[in-house]
Amino acid sequence: MKPATKDFWRRFLRNPGALIGLLILAAVVLMAIFAPLIHPQDPWRMVQRPFLPPFAVDGFWFGTDTLGRDIGAGLVYGAQVSLLVGIVSTVVALTIGVTLGALAGYYGGLVDDALMRFTEFFQTIPNFALAIVLVAILQPSTESVIVAIGIVSWPPVARLVRGEFLSLRSREFVQAARVVGQSNLQIIFGQVLPNTLSPIIVMASLMVATAILLESSLSFLGLGDPNTMSWGYMIGAARTVIRQAWWMSVFPGVAILLTVLALNLVGEGLNDALNPRLARKGR
Amino acid sequence: MVQTTRRTVLAGMAASGAILAIGVPEVSAATPKRGGTLNVVIQPEPPGLMLGITQNGPTQMVAGNIYESLLKYDFNLKPVPSLAKSWEISDDGKVYTFHLKQGVTWHDGKPFTAADVVFSADVFLRQTNARLRVSLEHVDKIEALDDHTVRFSLKEPFGPFIGVFEGGTMPMVPKHIYEGTDFKTNPMNATPIGTGPFKFDKWEKGSYIHLVRNEHYHVPGQPYLDEVYWQVIPDAASRAVAYETGKVDVLPGGSVENFDVKRLTALKNTSVTGKGWEFFAPLAWMWINNREGPLSDKRFRQAIMYAIDRNFAKDVIWNGLGKVPTGPVSSKTRFYSDDVEKYPYDTAKAKALLKEIGYDGKPIRLLPLPYGETWQRWGEAVKQNLNDAGINVEMVATDVAGWNQKISDWDYDLAFTYLYQYGDPALGVARTYVSTNIAKGSPWNNVEGYKNPKVDELFDKAAVAFPDAERQKLYDEVQKIIVEDVPVAWLLEIEFPTIYRSDVKNLVTTAIGVNDGLGGAWLDR
Amino acid sequence: MQKLGFILKRLLKAVAVLFAIVVLNFFLIRAAPGDPAQVMAGEAGAADAKFIEQLREQFGLDKPLHEQLAIYVGDIVTLDLGWSYRQNEPVSKLVFERLPATLLLTGTAFVISIALGLLFGAIAARRVGTLTDTAVTSFALIFYATPLFWVALMAILLFSVVLGWLPAYGMETVGAHLTGLAYAADVAEHLVLPALTLGLFFMAVYARLTRSSMLEVADMDFVKTARAKGVAPGRITRVHVLRNAVLPVITLAGIQAGQLVGGAVLTETVFAWPGIGRLMYDALFQRDYNLLLGIFFVSSAMVLLFNLITDVVYTFIDPRIELK
Repeated sequence: MKPATKDFWRRFLRNPGALIGLLILAAVVLMAIFAPLIHPQDPWRMVQRPFLPPFAVDGFWFGTDTLGRDIGAGLVYGAQVSLLVGIVSTVVALTIGVTLGALAGYYGGLVDDALMRFTEFFQTIPNFALAIVLVAILQPSTESVIVAIGIVSWPPVARLVRGEFLSLRSREFVQAARVVGQSNLQIIFGQVLPNTLSPIIVMASLMVATAILLESSLSFLGLGDPNTMSWGYMIGAARTVIRQAWWMSVFPGVAILLTVLALNLVGEGLNDALNPRLARKGR
Repeated sequence: MVQTTRRTVLAGMAASGAILAIGVPEVSAATPKRGGTLNVVIQPEPPGLMLGITQNGPTQMVAGNIYESLLKYDFNLKPVPSLAKSWEISDDGKVYTFHLKQGVTWHDGKPFTAADVVFSADVFLRQTNARLRVSLEHVDKIEALDDHTVRFSLKEPFGPFIGVFEGGTMPMVPKHIYEGTDFKTNPMNATPIGTGPFKFDKWEKGSYIHLVRNEHYHVPGQPYLDEVYWQVIPDAASRAVAYETGKVDVLPGGSVENFDVKRLTALKNTSVTGKGWEFFAPLAWMWINNREGPLSDKRFRQAIMYAIDRNFAKDVIWNGLGKVPTGPVSSKTRFYSDDVEKYPYDTAKAKALLKEIGYDGKPIRLLPLPYGETWQRWGEAVKQNLNDAGINVEMVATDVAGWNQKISDWDYDLAFTYLYQYGDPALGVARTYVSTNIAKGSPWNNVEGYKNPKVDELFDKAAVAFPDAERQKLYDEVQKIIVEDVPVAWLLEIEFPTIYRSDVKNLVTTAIGVNDGLGGAWLDR
Repeated sequence: MQKLGFILKRLLKAVAVLFAIVVLNFFLIRAAPGDPAQVMAGEAGAADAKFIEQLREQFGLDKPLHEQLAIYVGDIVTLDLGWSYRQNEPVSKLVFERLPATLLLTGTAFVISIALGLLFGAIAARRVGTLTDTAVTSFALIFYATPLFWVALMAILLFSVVLGWLPAYGMETVGAHLTGLAYAADVAEHLVLPALTLGLFFMAVYARLTRSSMLEVADMDFVKTARAKGVAPGRITRVHVLRNAVLPVITLAGIQAGQLVGGAVLTETVFAWPGIGRLMYDALFQRDYNLLLGIFFVSSAMVLLFNLITDVVYTFIDPRIELK
């Protein structure tokens, strides 16, 4: 292990919150990967009588829903959807945000002005409302949910990357690269971008958390992919029967809470470990 | 052959009679009490109250108190007097003569006469009501013989014609207000004038519609209630709460989620009825796109019928209300026959049929009806049933607009829907199966693309056959053929539950239910 | 004078952005499958092609797209938001009927979140590293990580279903037709749960921000100087630290204030609050183009307005800002 890496882990693990977060996150990831082994049954299958409370029947610890489907199976498969949507939509947002932010920050001037107006424009339209409209237009599916979340979450990335680029572009190493005759693209991706990675990584971990929340909100409103069992969908379907079946909404909500909490804790841990100077303040 | 048919017809009629006898809400023999306020939920808020222009469900539910037609229909769909006190049909089935009640006035005090009837049917509604327009094509002329007699002369006998004099289909509108105006923009649409038991008072948009007693109503003693508030509550759960806390006394069909019905009906002093839907007889089915792929094979469609656990849906999703249908005609509609092939829940049989065809697992898209939780759950259950039989079903999500577009453009494989039957197969059934009704652009015609010349011929003949016994024979035959072909998968004869306080009396008294006005309703408080 | 010029310039920019939003949304919503005529024909239960044609003609949807856009933009310039197809009423009337409910809800939530957020953030920063700090930080983090709609549902479950203390849905008691003080009390009672759930989420955001921003400021030289001069710690916090630490909070508040309208969609859905968020959601699914565009127009205008206010407030609080 390189000393820098070792240092990173030492600082990261010194933060108990980050450690807890990492453990929870690992559990969720394992649950998602091994879902078919934990619950071989399709989560949509009607396997018991409807409205079975938790622990009433052996093997159905989390109870059943309005149609007699196993809530436990839904929780396990829901992890897949949450992680998939969270990660892929973050990648989409990063791609857009980093590109635009880098261009704006590196070139400055008119390019910067135009791109920043564009970014502001996107920040003016109420976020969640725009996401709803996009999904409605594209018709609900995993892909459209990912695209919608990606499109509404890139502006902060662009702003962050732009700021970093603005401060870095006049540094010596960039000037040196220019003198050596590297092309602009080479400088952007080879020289400047690697130096902005730490804050981007921290931001990305928090964005996955936000994306999971957004996905669950969309699914809750009935705008999720109808073929995938997601936590937000489960809560949405439980809303009308909340008086009869508390367990239908409580368990998936706890699952979202734990996952998002874990991602936030890990994000803060990363922040402390990657930006030691700021660490004292963050904690 | 003839013999079997006759016997089953009798059996069928007996069966439907038996069903109709059960659970008729007791029409109270006690003397009705006068006075009181009734609070009823209306969902969603109607777009307008001028029943001649706006024909959607919520409009009729409120405006059915303001507007009336010549007839009403009892639970057996037998016509009973409303604005017409009596009527005759000529022996050849071509001339209908109505004798109007004397002394009926509009809410603004002007007398209601035969001229209003002619104006409503021949001028106003011909322009504004698409559904009535189709039936009026059989009509040669409409004349006022005197102030209180109207004659409809038909080009040929048209059996279903006696069923079009219902409040929502042919509401009487005042000639003195609308003649010569642009009907849709007439400012009087905001303050509707009818002949019904209640008068329009106030509409607080987003909150309530207030109707008050019509002191000059033409039925002696009626209405018993002083006023009716139609409460607009945009959320199903809040509507349930409003009933529980006593803010409303009546939850008409469809105003709470089905999963809440059981809980609400268990409350004290609460009654529930599925009656009042006999005229509309909503039948839910799944469109099957007959045009291509495995779905064009009759055996595949039969496999779908066997694969679906229709009793589960009825019991779990619809709380046991309604009835599993045998075919295209609801058991509540005239000329129903149950002498048809039956499709019990039988996954093994479905699998065998699929194997026989050599179905290769090609994905089949399923569009649920985007009308809320109940329909969403139903779609999920059916999808699971089909998956269990080995049919690879993918659910497609869409909203109401997307659903309409996809169905109209035939861009679907399987899709949920439900349609009204309006009492007669010629009005509400034939439109789904005759090949002349295949046309892109509408989600209510022969969307599945079913073509069978024999079926076309039988429906055409049956519509104009005379007398009824002749029609019954033709409809028996056509039902048999259609059920064998399974052009669509029939799921449920829906009965939307009306939940109401037990001290609300005579709430549902006709085949149109709460939609037919609350003239006879009274409070035993 | 300089300030006035600055404000004018910002106003002009805001109008340009607003115009762009109108045009973008105009095309976005028309890209959705289906149109209002189909939805309304569907509600009529039975209709023929002719009926749908009539509706389209009535709404002007049979005209080419660019003509529709020209008409719409022409109306918008005169602040005419058009006519709602589904509700058959002017859009402006519908929007402004519903707007007060949303403003009441989000405004209350906003005040709760800012007040509590600043308070908790300051407490945590003062006692950084103590148990109090950990408690406040964890509390804030948990609310930050919980889906809004779920907190809302749990609140209903606990306070309405189990305990029966507060009404679960709506803005007023249905059918009560109260007036005056009784009405205000009734609305206030209905307001508690939705305002708290919406407020607590943003409270978490502000608490975290205030805390980290205060810690940052506390490290700065002028604070150290004050401390060295022997100024009382409480006074340092109140006068020096908090005043400076509040700047990023104001920035965020400016952004959030506008965004609250979007966030209100969920709260209004769960609590059946008759606001503009719910109206937007319904308009979208009924393809009520004009209504949806009108709502977007008004809510974007609000975002811009709040941004403008933030900018102006900033120039007063922080003299370092230069006016360009």
